[in-house]
Amino acid sequence: MSIAGFTPAPVLGRRSLLGGAAALLALPLAAQGAAERRYRIGFANLTEDPGTRLEGLGFTGGDVQASFVLAARSLPVEMVFYDNDRNREKTLANADDAIARKLDLYIQYCDDAGANGEVAKRMKTAGLPVLAVTYPVPGAPLYGPDNALAGRLAGEALARFANATWQGRAAAVAIVGDLANLGDHVPDRVEAIAAALKEHLPSAAQTRLDTTGNPAQAEAQMRRFAAAQPDHKLLVAALDDTTALMAKAAVEAAGRVPDTAIVSQGCDRSVHGGSNDKKEIDPTNRGSILIGSVAYLLDRYGYEVLPLALRMLRDETVPPRVPTRHVLVTAANVFTIYPPIDMN
Amino acid sequence: MKNKLLLAAAALLGTLLLAPAVFAQSDCTKLVPPSPFGKDDETGATNRVTPAVTKAAAAEIQTGKVTTLTNVLVDGVPLFGTRFSKTILTATGLAPGGALGENNLTYMEDTWLSQSHVGTHLDGVGHIGRADCYYNQNPMGKFINQNRMTKLGLEHLKSFATRGVIIDMVRVFEAANKLRANPQCRKPCIDKGQVITPEDLQAGLKMYNVTLREGDAVFIHTGWEDLFLQYPAQNTLYNSGEPGIGEAAAKWLIDQKVILVGADTWAVEVIPGESPSKAFSVHQMLITDNGIHIIENARTDLIADEAAATKRATFFLNMTVPKAVGLTGNFVGIEAIQ
Repeated sequence: MSIAGFTPAPVLGRRSLLGGAAALLALPLAAQGAAERRYRIGFANLTEDPGTRLEGLGFTGGDVQASFVLAARSLPVEMVFYDNDRNREKTLANADDAIARKLDLYIQYCDDAGANGEVAKRMKTAGLPVLAVTYPVPGAPLYGPDNALAGRLAGEALARFANATWQGRAAAVAIVGDLANLGDHVPDRVEAIAAALKEHLPSAAQTRLDTTGNPAQAEAQMRRFAAAQPDHKLLVAALDDTTALMAKAAVEAAGRVPDTAIVSQGCDRSVHGGSNDKKEIDPTNRGSILIGSVAYLLDRYGYEVLPLALRMLRDETVPPRVPTRHVLVTAANVFTIYPPIDMN
Repeated sequence: MKNKLLLAAAALLGTLLLAPAVFAQSDCTKLVPPSPFGKDDETGATNRVTPAVTKAAAAEIQTGKVTTLTNVLVDGVPLFGTRFSKTILTATGLAPGGALGENNLTYMEDTWLSQSHVGTHLDGVGHIGRADCYYNQNPMGKFINQNRMTKLGLEHLKSFATRGVIIDMVRVFEAANKLRANPQCRKPCIDKGQVITPEDLQAGLKMYNVTLREGDAVFIHTGWEDLFLQYPAQNTLYNSGEPGIGEAAAKWLIDQKVILVGADTWAVEVIPGESPSKAFSVHQMLITDNGIHIIENARTDLIADEAAATKRATFFLNMTVPKAVGLTGNFVGIEAIQ
């Protein structure tokens, strides 16, 4: 557990491009920030193990926590950080600590439904409001991804590309990744991808390649898939960015780059970067076969969730479900959504 | 052959048709405010350095002590990504037989191949824009050629002979018991990501009983330069972020009608910025909207120490900028004379 306190900055009317609506709603709150007291908000992270990828994507607990630290700088809050460590005992102990400290609000990010139920009970008894991230906590508003929307964005992007670029050519679809990851609702993403492609590109046969959570497997699977489709254009829906890069390496090795388009899920730092990084999704790399990745914005969670928390603390109405504002990140908009800081 | 000609003609036509899109012009009256110095102004805030301002600043020279605010520019100092600054020495005169005349005159000179925004440097008013709109509502797509800008270049700047003010944020944060330092700093420094607010700036001014006045040049000491001074060991960390002013502090400084804001950091403003989806918004506020210059990578520890020792945080600013036509900025030498 760690505590980070920051001096609240006066209100600027700033707002996130992606989080415009939430931030705009938060403006009146922030405008009164100087006059109102500071709130103590706990954030119990899913895990801070740097080797663990979250939500079936490429982000880590460190990315999520950093977003809370940065977002808190401009808000009247003092953050108290916990690590649930994917451990039920620790999760409950964290909740008890938050109750003992009499925090004003508790943000729970935990994929253990049983633990979440128990946390909900204890918090209700203590009168401590809870806001859930990605995984439901009974009775608490939930912020998190809209998996169906994210999947649909990817499927539509692939179909749009194929219809515009390969008009009339036979195409084959591979949906590749950790297909059976139920805990992170990856099947919801898969079904949405498949449905969008079926709607907009009905002639393309679909194949599902299950990496069983090991993205390295995607390379061999994609080589075999490409070899089996010598006369088809290849549309690849990767379920995370690492898998997308593996798939790209496979079609490069197979000499099938001109025949392939890939869209990914997540948009983590492995595919986008600063102006000097020259990552895969970059304005100077518009010819990449990785044509985009659907942003899940785990590295912005703090900016989205803390304004909701403040609205709860001010007894304002918060919807029971607030979805992530997913967007397809491409070479054309990556610097708008993730402005680089290495250009000065 | 005929096909090739047709293809070439088609490519040329395509280029011409695309050109307006490439240099698409926004309605700059909607994106950038007009300059308070007139519709044709290309100078910016140095218009505020009037003879009266310079004369008043001269009163700051009391002991004659000169303190540098300039870092060395040499291979190994932090530069971003592909930025470069290289020198090539011509020393043929030292070769046997290379001396000239009975008096054996020899000479050496340099070729300096460098980007302009390196080391301790000034951002000109043509450095930063909002879309294609720059200072004083100039649609800069119309005012560039292959080599330089044809408007807003450094040649239009007036004098920087004004009063300088050092604001020591390190001592302010120490006094407020809120200094969150980076462990790699050998001397106290404010860690990256820390937003400096108007209240912080005002506390720094109050520490030395200074009230800003129109035409002042403000330098902010954060201690982050300690990483610069360890070059090249801490270059990556230095470039990874920085403490700095947020938008509210920038607004406050703009309201004080200063002519420049400098700091011992590579961007003056806090990085990561306050909004994750905005890029260098303080740069736009200062330069694009108000013609106020930015000095980056300044060396501020020496004058901050001097201020602490003498209880004087003001000085006469000694800085000139080359009349480099059409440049967006340049490295500068800066001295504080007290």
